[in-house]
Amino acid sequence: MSFRRTDWMLFGLVLALGLTPWVGSPYVLRLGTFACLYAVLAMSWNVIGGMTGYPSFATAAFFGLGAYVGGILLTKGYPLIAALGAAALVAFVGAMVLGVVLLRLRGHYFAVASLAVAEVLRELTNSATDLTGGGMGLNIPLSAVAGAGIAQAASFFFLTMWGLLLLTLAAVLWVERSKLGFGLACIRQNEAAADMIGVNATFYKSLAFAISGLFVAMAGTLYAGWVHYIEPPDVFDILFSVKPIVMALLGGLGSTAGALFGAAAFLALEEIVWRNSLQGSSGILGLLIVLLLLFLPRGLVSLGGQLVRRPHVEAAPGNGR
Amino acid sequence: MFTLQIFLNGLVLGCLYACIASGFSLVWGVLNVINLMHGSFIVLGSYLAWGAYQSIGLSPWITLVIAAPLFYGLGWILQRGVLNRVITAPVLVTLTMTFGLDLMLNNAMLLAFQADYRKLNLDPPLGTLALGSVVVPVDRLIAMALALALTLVLYLILRQSRVGRAIIAVRLDRDAATLMGVRVPAIYAAAFGFGTAMAGCAGVLLAMIFPTSPVSSTAYLGKAFVVCVLGGLGSVPGAVLGGLLLGVVESFGAWAIGPEHAVTLSFALLIAFLIARPQGLLGRQGFE
Amino acid sequence: MRTLLNPALMSALMSALTPRRLLAVASVSVAALGSTFAFAQETIRFGAPLPITGALAPEALKQQQGYDLWAEQVNKAGGIKVGDKKMKVEIIYTDYRSNTPRAVQAAESLITQDKVNFLFAPFGSGAAKAASTVSEQYGVPTIAATASSAQVYDQGYKYLFGTFTPNDTLTNPLSDLVAKKAAGVKRVAILARNDLFPLAIAQEMEKSAKDRGLSVVFFEKYAINTLDHSAALAQIKQINPHWIFATGYINDLVLIKKQMADQRIEAPVVTMVAGPAYKEFVDALGKSAENISSAAWWHPAARYRGIDIFGSTENYTKLFQAKYNAEPDYAQASASVSGALFQIAIERAGSLDRNKVRDQLASMNVQTFWGPVKFGPTGQITSLEPPVFQIQGGKTVVVSPPAIRQGEFKLTVQ
Repeated sequence: MSFRRTDWMLFGLVLALGLTPWVGSPYVLRLGTFACLYAVLAMSWNVIGGMTGYPSFATAAFFGLGAYVGGILLTKGYPLIAALGAAALVAFVGAMVLGVVLLRLRGHYFAVASLAVAEVLRELTNSATDLTGGGMGLNIPLSAVAGAGIAQAASFFFLTMWGLLLLTLAAVLWVERSKLGFGLACIRQNEAAADMIGVNATFYKSLAFAISGLFVAMAGTLYAGWVHYIEPPDVFDILFSVKPIVMALLGGLGSTAGALFGAAAFLALEEIVWRNSLQGSSGILGLLIVLLLLFLPRGLVSLGGQLVRRPHVEAAPGNGR
Repeated sequence: MFTLQIFLNGLVLGCLYACIASGFSLVWGVLNVINLMHGSFIVLGSYLAWGAYQSIGLSPWITLVIAAPLFYGLGWILQRGVLNRVITAPVLVTLTMTFGLDLMLNNAMLLAFQADYRKLNLDPPLGTLALGSVVVPVDRLIAMALALALTLVLYLILRQSRVGRAIIAVRLDRDAATLMGVRVPAIYAAAFGFGTAMAGCAGVLLAMIFPTSPVSSTAYLGKAFVVCVLGGLGSVPGAVLGGLLLGVVESFGAWAIGPEHAVTLSFALLIAFLIARPQGLLGRQGFE
Repeated sequence: MRTLLNPALMSALMSALTPRRLLAVASVSVAALGSTFAFAQETIRFGAPLPITGALAPEALKQQQGYDLWAEQVNKAGGIKVGDKKMKVEIIYTDYRSNTPRAVQAAESLITQDKVNFLFAPFGSGAAKAASTVSEQYGVPTIAATASSAQVYDQGYKYLFGTFTPNDTLTNPLSDLVAKKAAGVKRVAILARNDLFPLAIAQEMEKSAKDRGLSVVFFEKYAINTLDHSAALAQIKQINPHWIFATGYINDLVLIKKQMADQRIEAPVVTMVAGPAYKEFVDALGKSAENISSAAWWHPAARYRGIDIFGSTENYTKLFQAKYNAEPDYAQASASVSGALFQIAIERAGSLDRNKVRDQLASMNVQTFWGPVKFGPTGQITSLEPPVFQIQGGKTVVVSPPAIRQGEFKLTVQ
């Protein structure tokens, strides 16, 4: 396994981002925190969606799961580290277990099933009113998470989210360059053939699914602490499943760098649209998505050129994978 | 008799679900496209019915007849113009594409009609029908009958007409159909047109039963999903069966474990079917 | 050199230097230059984050109507008197897409980017509570026009105020009235939407009913986006309660009542929160709405007189009707009064200083078209006596409190 030069550059770029608390206002910090969050979601999704070729819509399920597991622990007084750890563990184990069942499906069916998981989790969370507050939401006191003061809280959340981004980036790059990554690429291209050459497809897929959920869950916990009020329709929102996919597509399907830049570009677009158009913001977002898919199917990364690896995307006619 | 009432409620509801889902199932089965705009098309149909009734007193039954060709045209244009360019792309791309298109359509409706709910109330109201100790609302009954009729019409078109048979041929084997001289892009457009027309008509029927607003589109879409998986993709009779199954299960489920879990139940059923019998009740194995 | 021109790096840079950021840098420079010329602020800016798109869009519309009517009236009169000059009012709207975390973000950007002087809270209890942390941190007085849960105000914040009294002030008068006027009513069935406000008020109702010796024989929650209530209603029909209490948003309640009629369910008392206050509810249901009761924080039939810019409930209703060609309900009135209260506080403080205005709000004890306004120690209003009303003959009629009563409470809903 060898990391490429671009990997180190990527890492360095994200490292440099850590300077933001010292150069930006709380508003910029808030934007930056969103950027890190989006990047974590997009890169995580890329592991199961881009590398393995399984179009997962379960991102929202993991995000909401992490938000509630972590959030509940925070309200009960556990430190942030414990909450993060618990969220990661629950997501990892849950994904492995769920993977046994879901990963037998392909293409459309997998997509729909993963979508349904988010819906089911949302409703279950809604009904467990005593534990989660149900439809009335969960309040996570700021004091449980960070110190007082505007600038400090904003910096704190930015730095924790940024830290998670570094961790995710390291993990995802490691996966990409390791034997696991190679195996996933084989599975994406032809799962039956991969099985025949000795790749343990079932195990690798489940691992990929679990990895894709692990960091997303931790991001959910941080998010819960950051906004300090969550309710099921917010954190299990289908948009948390769709946006990372759009980001990955925007950046370039299959590459980690693509996911990263796609997240940044998407956030920038979203912010511009939101700030400038009151009534039509979601419509314009839709238009951007449509235009992107029509005219830039290989993503931003394809504009870059030689130094960034161009991903291979299957597009056989009638193939719904 | 109480259980009979619950059962009957479930059946009537189920037919409405079948109506909501049949177009969605067709598009998914034939074009391999999960059309996330389906819910919004239904809402658009509801607005058409409401607007026609409100402004010129046009009876919804007539609007129904007008809606079909209108929505067919809309779907046809959308498919030929936009969707066809990505039709060979993986499910990710088409799903996200329809998601983006749906954002646009929904936002447009929000701007045009405002978000507050409109209700089409027939004057005089249709009332209820009592069969023994069981009560059935007449408007749902008529909607149910019309929904079944529409589904039957669609089924006949698919089986009997040239276009319909070409659609089925493409569904079974795209390449073989091409070899047989079927012009696939035109067929795709026709299938999408039919799907949209069903959605629009469903909307017209539902306008009398549910309040209308752009924010209802996700509720309809959710039901369509579940019914399709239950019944089997691309199968119109399957949509009917799946709809009835869902309606009855939800009805009894709400009674047994509480109405708050009704939505959870429907999605849990979806997952169960995907695991145990992904082709649904009447679908074909291996068709993914 | 080659690495500097690396396309990956370039695209990263390009996405970082968005037009928005360039604009921000440019405006900061201009502002820095401009401040040297002592550029005085001409308008008072109020921030209003609203769910203009998304599931809560219908509510945002009402809020906007309320704020706009107030702003129009104020500016027509020349503006708010600040010390010895008059300043006009400007409302900055932001769409947070019915998404609570975005509401918090919207509040912050209104304060830090748009530099608003004061803030109107986002819609609903959840979003108001979440956003109040931001306004507290920046010390911006905020009035919440639609937050009734007492939990919204339990964080000990000094800058948050609310125009809705807690939920039990709705359910208690209702229960009192029913207990008095309908002695035979003993069994209550409650059907609640599993959402913040509808569930909270349903739980209050359960308490109020039990406190008065009524028995709650049915309490169920239905999921958001439920398209069919027939199962729950069939159960209610079987239990045959005297009083059916349903909560939800207008579309839920219209559907519930319609399905009640479908199943031929009748009861002496049917109460719904919060649909009957709205004209759309009565329009949607027609005759089926007859005798449905409800309670709300305000009603156009009230006869309050006040020192605010509108002067009296009658005048407010008249102005609203002239502008929007419809009768106002409590949602719009609450938004308008939030603006009017800011106006009174600013005029009394004689300046735009946030702390002075905040202190004026905290010590306020005035009469307005909305009713008597006095905020409690948590910032939530304590002085209102929410009216109970009923739909009679296609119009809403106030049946309690006696001071503004228009008609008698009637029984039997079909």
